[in-house]
Amino acid sequence: MTSPSSSSSPKGPKAALADALDRAAIDASCRLPVLLFFGSAIAWLLVGSVFALLAAIKLTTPEFLADHAWLTFGRVRPAHLNAVAYGWSSTAAIGVAIWLMARLCRVPLRHARILVAAAVLWNLGVAIGVTAILAGASNAIEWLEFPTYAAFILFVSYAFIAVWAVLMFRERRPGHVYVSQWYIFGAFFWFPWLYSVVNSMLVFWPVQGSVQAIINWWFGHNVLGLWFTPIALASTYYMIPKILGKPIHSYYLSILGFWSLALFYSWNGGHHLLGGPIPAWLQSASIVASVMMLIPVITTAINFHMTMRGSFALLRTSPALRFTVFGAMCYTVVSAQGSSMALRSLNKLTHFTHYTIGHAHLGMYAFFTMTMFGAMYYITPRLVRWEWPSAFLIKAHFWLASTGILLMVVSLTLGGLIQGIELENPKVPFLTIVAHTIPWLHARSWSGALLTTGHLAFALSFVLILLRTGKQREGPTLFTKERSFP
Amino acid sequence: MTFTLVALFIVVVAFTAIAIGAFGWAAKTGQFHGLEAGARSIFDTDEPIGRPTDHFPERGRKSKASV
Amino acid sequence: MNRGLTLFVGILATFTLAWAGLVLIPYLQFGRVTDYVSEETGQTLPPPMSGLAQRGHEVYAAEGCVYCHSQQVRGESQGSDLARGWGVRRTVARDYIGERPHFLGTMRTGPDLSNIGRRQSSVEWHHKHLYRPQSVSPGSVMPPFRFLYSLRKIVGEPSADALKLDGLDAPPPGWEVVPTPDAKALVAYLLSLDRSYPLPEAPTE
Repeated sequence: MTSPSSSSSPKGPKAALADALDRAAIDASCRLPVLLFFGSAIAWLLVGSVFALLAAIKLTTPEFLADHAWLTFGRVRPAHLNAVAYGWSSTAAIGVAIWLMARLCRVPLRHARILVAAAVLWNLGVAIGVTAILAGASNAIEWLEFPTYAAFILFVSYAFIAVWAVLMFRERRPGHVYVSQWYIFGAFFWFPWLYSVVNSMLVFWPVQGSVQAIINWWFGHNVLGLWFTPIALASTYYMIPKILGKPIHSYYLSILGFWSLALFYSWNGGHHLLGGPIPAWLQSASIVASVMMLIPVITTAINFHMTMRGSFALLRTSPALRFTVFGAMCYTVVSAQGSSMALRSLNKLTHFTHYTIGHAHLGMYAFFTMTMFGAMYYITPRLVRWEWPSAFLIKAHFWLASTGILLMVVSLTLGGLIQGIELENPKVPFLTIVAHTIPWLHARSWSGALLTTGHLAFALSFVLILLRTGKQREGPTLFTKERSFP
Repeated sequence: MTFTLVALFIVVVAFTAIAIGAFGWAAKTGQFHGLEAGARSIFDTDEPIGRPTDHFPERGRKSKASV
Repeated sequence: MNRGLTLFVGILATFTLAWAGLVLIPYLQFGRVTDYVSEETGQTLPPPMSGLAQRGHEVYAAEGCVYCHSQQVRGESQGSDLARGWGVRRTVARDYIGERPHFLGTMRTGPDLSNIGRRQSSVEWHHKHLYRPQSVSPGSVMPPFRFLYSLRKIVGEPSADALKLDGLDAPPPGWEVVPTPDAKALVAYLLSLDRSYPLPEAPTE
């Protein structure tokens, strides 16, 4: 690899040192709020994993813990979804977005108190919401189960974060606004819009009948595409070039990808209701938009691949890169799968089956969660000024997470296809179909055990790095002074 | 009902206005110019292009230097 | 840059239009569909839900039934719902005008319930099924809802609504299993699920 030495720096060693110190100051200023978001995200990840395991076991063994109303399947399953969607995924996403904002604005983080208050409120809102679901106070609207009081707390916390983002952006050092910031701003702009509109139209002043279902899935789909996806892509667009030390292959494609995502994703929601009691034109529009999603996805895939080309060997040495690239590859796969599932011929089979659950986990775990893990592996050492104490734990986490999610997706996809094909044939009795899905559901429970073990390894790693255990090592960019001038 | 529709309409107009405003700002401040420089904007002077910045903890600086 | 401007304003406007398109227009199109009074029978369709069934609708929400059971019958071209006997016609928007929240559902881990009140109209069956689904439906993976029932010592006469349980589920002698108000409401709701009436846009013939 051509490795220009520090002499390639146009302004000389002094400017380079100043840059390194600036970066260290920015990282130090993020420490409290970002670690607060990361720490609580990981705690929710463990809580969500426990609910997931309970729900998975209950689907094969209905008598398991069945005598407690709080632990019945119909409550544990939404508790899992909300704990991982709002507790883990959103919290992790906000933490990563805060750090990226500070780094890309090139100024130390200010108004940290707003963020600390937001973190406390956010966790309070999620805790109240999950407890309410277990207590039977759920709205029973998928992705929006939190009762109004919990949703309101989340909204207030969210407002704090958005205000902070605007303040931070105003105080940035002048210069180019990198594409990751576009994605973060998009996410910060779309999510409150979605969340407030949908809560008001479904919970506060509910609209009538099946219009609720349309709005429900407009949200259910957009929360993935316009909240989680942009932040994961923002992280990927920063991490891959930064870790490789190579600019993104085509900056033009990255911006094109951003706008085409915004354009097509928001029309996708109707594909969750194909054949349902909603207008035919809306179903068709959603199918078209779902197929058009291939444009942003292919541009993004080409861009990442071309950037990575020649550097794949680094996947062996960099944990952050390995997780991030795994996530980026799964983004391509899950999006292509999503487009195909919107086609009526395939949807007829996969709708209402475990295939959809496999798809959801391919998106939220294999793509989004793995990307967040990658970002956390990169960011945390820079905040605590300490390297990860154990490479073994990181490797264990990676292999448990990647094989676990692979097993889950494969078993749910195959089980779901069998379920769908048999449902299509009215001669197959329903209970026969149930019996045929059970082996696949057992495999899913095992995959959940692998993932949960991986999460424990990650949580342990996180605690150890916070405690600064192990030998002091020189982090790759923490002490850039020496490394810049070999 | 009418209230809801009016509210929805206002929200649509407001978001469109914000979006157009954001685009106008982006064009005016040259966010669409010099795209190649944009791609390089995340690198500081002490992080020369071509040098990876992350590795497993057990791999020390020596193995990094050989990458 | 001008061409770029046109392009991007177009994209942003389209984005906002997506919201208008997927939310506003469907809302205008049938956000205010009203019930229909049949000319032949003078019946209001869909029939309004009783108070008890309304309460059962809340229990259905709290216990998360919607995560395994859909309530929508797709037409012939889109799946085998009709051939399976889950309904006599596809369901349409008007069928759901009284429902808040909606229970269209996205999973069929269990069968569709759009017409369960018609397909299975026995109160006793529903109580037995909720108490231990496998007792009437061997091989089912549905969880038991025993927490919606109470085990009581018989004082004087046995209760009229006590469940007639046998085998594994039979209470000890001198005891009885009675449904809580929630269980009764849930069963009333399930029995009310019958979307087989003809509508102008969805005839049954």
